[in-house]
Amino acid sequence: MIAMFRAVLYSQWKWSRLIVVLGTVAAFAIPLLSLQGAARADRGAMQTPELLRAVQSWGTLYPLLATALGLLMAIAAWAPDHRGRHIHALTLPLERWRYVLLRFGAGFVLLAAPIAAVLIGSSLAVLTATLPPGLQAYPIALAMRFAFAVFVAYAVFFAVSAGTARTAGILLAVIAALILVQVVASMANLNLDLFGAAQTALLLGPGPLAVFAGRWMLVDV
Amino acid sequence: MSRLLGVLLTVSVLASPVQSQDSLIARLRRQADSLLSAWRDAQELAAVADSLEQVRATAGSDTIAVGGLRIIANPSPLPLREAAERAWPVIDSLYGSAAEDLPRYPYIFRAVDPDSSVRRTVLHVGVELPWDLDLRGTSTVLLTTVVAPHFDPVLADWLGTALRPTLRPQDERTAVFVQLVTAPSEAVRRCFLGDIVRCKVVLQVGDSTGLVTQWYVTPAEREALVTESFADYFARGATAPSLQRCRQHRDDACTALLQSLPPGSLPRPLGHAARLVLVREALRAGGRDAYRRLVASPNAAIEARLSSAAETDIDSLVARWRNSVLAARPRPLTLPWWAGFAAIGWTALFGFCALRSSRWRL
Repeated sequence: MIAMFRAVLYSQWKWSRLIVVLGTVAAFAIPLLSLQGAARADRGAMQTPELLRAVQSWGTLYPLLATALGLLMAIAAWAPDHRGRHIHALTLPLERWRYVLLRFGAGFVLLAAPIAAVLIGSSLAVLTATLPPGLQAYPIALAMRFAFAVFVAYAVFFAVSAGTARTAGILLAVIAALILVQVVASMANLNLDLFGAAQTALLLGPGPLAVFAGRWMLVDV
Repeated sequence: MSRLLGVLLTVSVLASPVQSQDSLIARLRRQADSLLSAWRDAQELAAVADSLEQVRATAGSDTIAVGGLRIIANPSPLPLREAAERAWPVIDSLYGSAAEDLPRYPYIFRAVDPDSSVRRTVLHVGVELPWDLDLRGTSTVLLTTVVAPHFDPVLADWLGTALRPTLRPQDERTAVFVQLVTAPSEAVRRCFLGDIVRCKVVLQVGDSTGLVTQWYVTPAEREALVTESFADYFARGATAPSLQRCRQHRDDACTALLQSLPPGSLPRPLGHAARLVLVREALRAGGRDAYRRLVASPNAAIEARLSSAAETDIDSLVARWRNSVLAARPRPLTLPWWAGFAAIGWTALFGFCALRSSRWRL
């Protein structure tokens, strides 16, 4: 089983190495860039709000990077199989669920590199910066959040990518139906806010995308 | 004879402008007196109109008395008594013994139809409330519209806001903490780091001379204040050249511009919440009569009034304020404990969906 996993991991690495390398570089660079200039010795009280603004602005890139990594890795994991009409997979002496699990696991292993890069980049950025008094750095919390976001994004897109065209069609149809019902409700002056409800369900509480919501601050009060 | 005539003529010519100036002053004085008289008449008329309006607004109303609260309202399903029973302990804990004077400042409410299309009488006294307001909302209205007893203009000017019970005291202190850390002011930063003298300066407790340089310690702060907050104000007229010099990093020009601002218009380095928390701290320290002592001497200096209210010296009070603010540090932006489990759960669920997929069943 380990040999199989190695083989799947190796093939997946070959298909997605460019994504992994670029993602790792970006994940390492964003924390460093977000704290650029924070090491200046002459940083006065004037610069504290500027620093927080910069950190907040750069912080929007973490969820975007997590989503992009999840999406591209999921596509890369399945693209060769889709192209080959799954013939290679069918020739393997392996149940489908095991094969999918190996692919799924290999993706997580490869995604560990950008997650580690966020942790290392954040820690390095914080160590080299001179933070104004009262501000605190959260490199571990940020890296953990990034890890969860990457995992959720990867799992969502992996599931969609692993599904049939019919599944994708059903998903799109459900979304279109929601939009249609909302438009009709608005025209009929009905007090129905499906988008708001969907947003609440997805982004708040224990929703699947809740980990993406909120501020991604490497440094904060 | 001709010399005498000449002297008389000269004196009369020289005296004529003085005489005309004298008459101008007299005319202006008469106008001022007339204006004052008109203003007094207007005041009397306004007072009469106000009392008539008050009579009209309270006609046919009931009076609800709970503790020191007096609520005059028209009959309606509004839960005013229950709300007053909830609000009174909170109000009483803030104003202490002075809350006994609250019957002098009754609430006037008019319960109205929540349907905004229903026509209603326009009243200029009191507050209109929809009659379907719930208990929580009604209590909030009572807490946020209570009139602070004997609240004098000097205290109001210094505080910059009304002194009312707070619904979320912790949030108020947390907001001040964030201000202490993020305010673009060296004085505030030093206060945060423990310099009590600086804290007194930024709270404007004590000597108020030279506020510009006391509040905005560095030339960079003063320049930023002028060029970012007052650029439009100083860009016209006689101050325009000074603004140009200020933009060229001439601190003397920036300081002079800021010093030329009308009294009270120099932005405070800390917001109203900081002073509000200080007053609350003084009232908490001073016990039940603290508020009464705070408003007892409207002409005394603010620090003396606060000291008197808290029954402690001002440095100890400010130190206490700082400690309470530092203790209210906001919670860090870490994920809640359940978020990690939720993310792993969703990941597992989507992974399971992928395992169950039928894609390669060709």
